[in-house]
Amino acid sequence: MTWRNVRLILLREVRDQSRDRRTLFMIAILPLLLYPGLGIGMVQMTVLFSEQPRTVVVLGAEHLPSDPPLLQGDGINPAWFEDESDARTLAVVTDLPRSPNGDDAEDPADSGRDQAAARAAALLAEARPMRAPVRERQAIRENISRAEKSLSELEDRRAAAEQARRAAAEQDAEATRVHEGEVERIKREMAELSGRIQGWKKDLDPIEEKISELFAKTGIQVLIVVPDGFQQKIAHVNEKLKRRTLDAADEEDYYSGPTSIANRADEKSLIAYTRVKKAIERWERRILEQRLSYADLPSTVAMPVNADPIDVARKEQLSANVWSKLFPALLIIMAVTGAFYPAVDLAAGEKERGTMETLLICPASRTEIVVGKFLTVMLFSMSTALLNLLSMGLTGKYMASMAGGGAISRMGDLTFPGFGSLAWVIVLLIPLAALFSALCLALATFARSSKEGQYYLTPLLMVTLGLTVFCLSPGIEITPFYSIMPIVGPALLLRELLAPSGGSQPLIYAIPVLATSIGYSLLALWWAIDQFAREDVLFREAERFELGLWIRHLLRDKDPVPSFTEAGFCFVLIMLLQFAAFKILHAATVAGVDMLRLMMIQQLVIIATPALLMGVMLTTSPRRTFRLRMPSLGMLAIAAALPFVLHPLSFELQASLSWFFPPLPAEIARTLKLATGNASLWLVLLAFAVAPAICEEVAFRGFILSGFHSTRRTWLALALSSLTFGVMHMIPQQVFNASLLGLVLGLIALRSGSLVPAILFHFLFNALAVLHGRVGAEGAALPDWLQEGPATWFVRLSHQTVRYQWPTLVLAALAAIVLLRILVKPGTRADEAPAPPVPPAGASDARRTAGKPPVAVG
Amino acid sequence: MIHVRNLAKSFPDLRRGSVAALHPVTFEVRPGEIYGLLGPNGAGKTTCLRILSTVLKPTGGAATVAGYDVRTQPAEVRARIGFMSGNTGIYDRMTAAEMVEYFGRLYGLDEDRLRQRVDEIFEMLQMNEIRDLLGSKMSTGMKQKVSIARTIVHDPPVLIFDEPTSGLDVLVARAVQQAIAALRDQGKCIIFSTHIMREVEKLCDRVGIIHRGRILAEGALPELEDRYGEPDMEELFFELISRHDRELAEQTA
Repeated sequence: MTWRNVRLILLREVRDQSRDRRTLFMIAILPLLLYPGLGIGMVQMTVLFSEQPRTVVVLGAEHLPSDPPLLQGDGINPAWFEDESDARTLAVVTDLPRSPNGDDAEDPADSGRDQAAARAAALLAEARPMRAPVRERQAIRENISRAEKSLSELEDRRAAAEQARRAAAEQDAEATRVHEGEVERIKREMAELSGRIQGWKKDLDPIEEKISELFAKTGIQVLIVVPDGFQQKIAHVNEKLKRRTLDAADEEDYYSGPTSIANRADEKSLIAYTRVKKAIERWERRILEQRLSYADLPSTVAMPVNADPIDVARKEQLSANVWSKLFPALLIIMAVTGAFYPAVDLAAGEKERGTMETLLICPASRTEIVVGKFLTVMLFSMSTALLNLLSMGLTGKYMASMAGGGAISRMGDLTFPGFGSLAWVIVLLIPLAALFSALCLALATFARSSKEGQYYLTPLLMVTLGLTVFCLSPGIEITPFYSIMPIVGPALLLRELLAPSGGSQPLIYAIPVLATSIGYSLLALWWAIDQFAREDVLFREAERFELGLWIRHLLRDKDPVPSFTEAGFCFVLIMLLQFAAFKILHAATVAGVDMLRLMMIQQLVIIATPALLMGVMLTTSPRRTFRLRMPSLGMLAIAAALPFVLHPLSFELQASLSWFFPPLPAEIARTLKLATGNASLWLVLLAFAVAPAICEEVAFRGFILSGFHSTRRTWLALALSSLTFGVMHMIPQQVFNASLLGLVLGLIALRSGSLVPAILFHFLFNALAVLHGRVGAEGAALPDWLQEGPATWFVRLSHQTVRYQWPTLVLAALAAIVLLRILVKPGTRADEAPAPPVPPAGASDARRTAGKPPVAVG
Repeated sequence: MIHVRNLAKSFPDLRRGSVAALHPVTFEVRPGEIYGLLGPNGAGKTTCLRILSTVLKPTGGAATVAGYDVRTQPAEVRARIGFMSGNTGIYDRMTAAEMVEYFGRLYGLDEDRLRQRVDEIFEMLQMNEIRDLLGSKMSTGMKQKVSIARTIVHDPPVLIFDEPTSGLDVLVARAVQQAIAALRDQGKCIIFSTHIMREVEKLCDRVGIIHRGRILAEGALPELEDRYGEPDMEELFFELISRHDRELAEQTA
């Protein structure tokens, strides 16, 4: 690759794009216009749109106590709102006689007032029919609460009678009988009372139904119905308090308060109800304070805890919070869109305009072409993202300075983050833009036309948006595990760096985030280059696609081993089945033997069956696909020895990396425990070692590895098969572990050309893990000779787990290196499955005989 | 300069399985001669020329161009050929001069040499008046001139033309033919595909008649006429093709 050509292509593409009005508009003009435009729109909206007042109707307002008054003038007393202006957001209509205004017939506001009066009258007319059912409901509820009170009295009496009966039982048989009769009578009475309460409660349902029906017909957001004589009842209790004649058993103390009706499913109603509820609470508090003073009690009695919050957020922190959420999200979304349109134009557009072949026949290599195009796309992606941020930031700042105390300032002060944070924005934008650019370029290269290219935007954007939303969710913060995830890592790191509390602590994540992001970008770039090197992608012609035709093609043009795509499809199928079965497996409350049986069925149905079926249907040689041949004894020996040296290494590696992974969800941990808990060892071995060894090997080292290896890229096939094997395990810890083991298993399968050693290895490895877990769980079962003397150099029991000491690990590592070297060394390679038969000249099997075979990725 | 030996290419096809676009073909082209690949549409001409230009990889056989293997030394090959076909369009948002200069630079010409070549070619093809015209504003004839200029900017010893005159009016087609003839006179090795008999008769020193991915007959025009006793090129062409189709039909029957 020479940089001269890359630079030439880059410069040309940039010039080409900057001559394209659409691209320029999308990338430069749109962001510069969009945010100020949005800002103007927002100002207009806030000026024009003030919150519509919500209608609150109060029926029976004359029964409200006058001191302290809930209502004042036309509305609820502003004193009961935290923000007095909130009172204006509620339009209150009462059934109080309207105060006669000075009858100036010439008053220009008169007609308006008439209108308002007419509206109020209409609302009241709508509300009044609800009064009767509300009263009815109140009466029933009063009955219920009275009955409940007597029920609890009866309960006390019953307890007393029982005690008396027990006391009498020792001396007097006659008295006992009397007491027993008493208890029986009370019990009967209670049963009857409970029955009545149940009946009343049932009566409530149709009434509430009716109220809701009537309420839905009105335009009222909240209806308050004050019961008759409410004022007198409050005054009555107040009077008693003053005279100190109130006692707990007083029947008259129970009275119904105002009923408020609202529909919480309706947002308008909910907002109004929340405000009314708060106002009533404050009002009630005032009444309580009044009562306390009548009773000569300090007002603090009502606040026994009196918690006192302090909010230490400073103004600039609040603003930083706004940016720390907005910037990463905007950066990611704009980096995608900024990359996408140029990428489609540069790849699919070039195909469409017929200049692709012109470019392909120039001496620049395909890598140079792709890198040149990639850098162009990345440049546009970064400029789009930065221009958007800049434009949005400046607009926000300007708006904030203009709006003063408006609604925007409530979001927090919108001062720009400092230079240090902005530098980080740029640093993290580079890998993000690189990843998106390479992905978009690969997709766009695959597309036949710009139109087809546009179709790929939606899935890409959906995935990106999903990850962005995930990063924005409160409570998600950067962890070692998240830091190595694509997109999520940079986004969370940026959020942390822009957040006010972010000091130097998140900086330790900068290295893993940047390193992995660059790694992902390179992978994506490699994919793009690979796409570009494929003739079937570059010269894709519009083919009529018919499902039937395609299936016939699959069944007719079979190869001895599955194709790359078929292997990928098999994996996707297994994952989908796993996903579908996830619920069954984890919702199941079965334990022990049933659990184990379920796991075996899962292995058979979800993992082995799809691979076997596909192998039989889509290949001409299931024997070769599943590597069904006798391995050499040497290979068997290596496969048998490796688990014993790898088990301690793998276990300790996983233990030492436990900080890195998110903790296991409690459910899964419990399931694992349940499954292994008290079943017999043989069954556990069957479920955890035998079944996976056979089923997973058939699928992953059989069908999938054979398919990935059909393009003869050994290391790619190994890496992909072990990655898919890892991903299939779902739980992050196992994904990591299984991926590493997948490499070893893949090596064994490829070198021996047989599935048998891989199955053997897999079985032994899993069996060792099971045994290891067992020994630990039973604790004392560790034989004495292992607990003392030289054995303690090698193993140690800690927290019910057998831990391997470093001498064990060193020995195991040495042995593993020796064994793996034998495996990797090409000289010892057991002959692989025989070379594919040479096809009749030029007839079929184009891929295999080509010098550098193309490969499908993804 | 061009040696093609048993070159074969097959594509996977959804409908028919693997399809052989090119059965093993063998021919060679010497410097200072124009070799014509004559065949109907879909005969495998484009596939063959795309393999020679290293855009496609052969699935069998070998080909060397200017002494370099198309499979193992594609960059070397590309640096020594000029390739033009109906599919090699020009960029809409570049002027004629920019387009030619861009490719000149990609071919590694230094700036002095580039300026000299561009002036020379623009003079020769009489395209000075479209020098600063954007591709999107050009007529088909102008575009074709730019394509030719692009093809020869680096003065390659081997030139590959895939139906260069298809879709052109008589005047432009004639200009293209004259340009190709002039290039032959400079001693270039030229391979040229077409389905137009007149062009073959006028330009080609030798022809290969290609049909269904096979070369049915090959040689200088008089030689072919002698061999098949058919003085009319068009008749000869039809005769060969229909005979081949008959043979195929008999084989499958």
